[in-house]
Amino acid sequence: MGAIGGVYAIWLREIKRALRDRGQLVGGISRPLLWVLILGIGLNPYFRAEIYGEVRFVVPYTYLQFIFPAVIVLNIMYTAVQSAVSVIADREFGFLREVLVSPMPRSLVLIGKVLGGATVAMVHGSLVLVLAEFTDVNLNLSDLFIGLLLMFLLAFGLTCLGIVIANRIRSFEGFGVFSNAVILPLYFTSSSVFPLDPALTGAQTRVVYPEWLVNIVQANPITYAVDSLRGVFIGFNQFEASLGPIIMGAMAVVFFAIALWDFRRA
Amino acid sequence: MSSEELAVEVKDLVKRYGRTLALNKLSLEIKANETFALLGPNGAGKTTLIHILCTILRPDSGTAKVGGHDVLRHPLRARRALGVIFQEPSLDARLTVQENLDFHGLVYNVPASVRRKRIPELLELVDLSDWRSKLVGSLSAGMKRRIEIARALIHDSKVIILDEPTVGLDAQSRENIWEYLRQLKATRGFTLIVTTHYIEEVDEADRVCIVDHGSVLANDSPDALRAEFGREIVRVTPHDADSAAAITSKFPEATSEPDGQIAIVGVGGEVMATLLRELGPQIKHVSYDRPSLESVFLSLTGREIRDAPGGTAKPLAAARQ
Repeated sequence: MGAIGGVYAIWLREIKRALRDRGQLVGGISRPLLWVLILGIGLNPYFRAEIYGEVRFVVPYTYLQFIFPAVIVLNIMYTAVQSAVSVIADREFGFLREVLVSPMPRSLVLIGKVLGGATVAMVHGSLVLVLAEFTDVNLNLSDLFIGLLLMFLLAFGLTCLGIVIANRIRSFEGFGVFSNAVILPLYFTSSSVFPLDPALTGAQTRVVYPEWLVNIVQANPITYAVDSLRGVFIGFNQFEASLGPIIMGAMAVVFFAIALWDFRRA
Repeated sequence: MSSEELAVEVKDLVKRYGRTLALNKLSLEIKANETFALLGPNGAGKTTLIHILCTILRPDSGTAKVGGHDVLRHPLRARRALGVIFQEPSLDARLTVQENLDFHGLVYNVPASVRRKRIPELLELVDLSDWRSKLVGSLSAGMKRRIEIARALIHDSKVIILDEPTVGLDAQSRENIWEYLRQLKATRGFTLIVTTHYIEEVDEADRVCIVDHGSVLANDSPDALRAEFGREIVRVTPHDADSAAAITSKFPEATSEPDGQIAIVGVGGEVMATLLRELGPQIKHVSYDRPSLESVFLSLTGREIRDAPGGTAKPLAAARQ
């Protein structure tokens, strides 16, 4: 049916705008360089614990390998949130009307928008993969494929979340405040930059770390997203391996449903 | 007249915003392929009506049909027949002219072969073929308007709605836009609905509909409106205050205008004759205006109607203070 043409047009517009958005591209490239190459290399030597004179690895990988999948998630989060800003821009600058007055059904308009935003976020996440060889992360084709699928799933859910939030915020400034108050806290409490020791039980972990922190990390859905990408790219899962895809899938479905309900009401 | 020949049918539309009644059982009919102008002060209900016709607003009650399709029951079909150009531009500044037009074609299900033919033709008609690969952000306001008009015709639109098409444009651009509209209409054939508050533009229309307070006050061709509601106005500039007093005592129904002139509404010939014969020396300057749409508008939607509590729409002579 011809409606696919419309979905394609909306998707393509997101891609074109992202390619022309220099600020976003600079961010998407500088972030992995900073986090992986500088912070990763800098903290690498400190990632091993010496206990009773014996060198013990908290996590049997280097810090570079540990943080690598987390930075992928970071890039996806930032970009997904920024594509939501374009929702506000479309509303402010009138382009949304052109689409609303067209014969495209609302649900397809939303799908085009989300697929476009998720594609851009996934590509930004993939920029991090370029640094794989600096971090001794071995990527074979099947791992890469599964990884990309998971990245897309995460990007889809986060783009929908961004749109849901953008629908409720009237101005750009408000959105900026919100994204900074949300993205970084979510990121830091997702077992991204420091691990919860898998060798310890829940109770033992609460001895090493304060209770509130452990609770936050375990409740944070991003924790499981980062974990499942770690599982795919470096073969290390702190949590049950199936939790990641399930939670990301649930996020995608729930947030898309809310975004659609919002959109239909308008 | 069968309903296929009516481009738009509106019956008893009601829309309330809180306590404000934006549309008060408004009804009108627009014939296929006519140029129809909607005229009214701000807050008259024009934009509300337009938004309902575009299916982006639901009325509280009443029906509206565009191209024969009920906007409430078959909004998608109504939208296919519509091409809309809003007052605020709705182009994507970060895409090129061509990309914007392609986007529209895809979203309106226009087959690729038709797009490839129509887009260059339309760009040619609005004299913007050379700008096809330029980013829309680099175009002037007038050029953006032309692109939007061309865009509205890429699909098989039968009804084109233009909401204040020339606001924000200089006089030259305004005239150009109308020239393009005339050419496009002659080539393509469509119903054109325009809302505007520039009275001189309204003369282009086959019929003019004057709305205020959510109701239709008058709906007829410009000539017919002038004949029925237009007033001749004689304006006099008196020499001094004494002259002014002499003139107003002779014509007690005259009103003072802010620039010091005295306006006398009535049958121009008699008023002129009396003025010149009896008050010649008191006059510094006199001018005569034939019935114009300006006076039609004033007499139907003048200040008196706004001031009167629950004002009813009666044609009032502009002379009454």
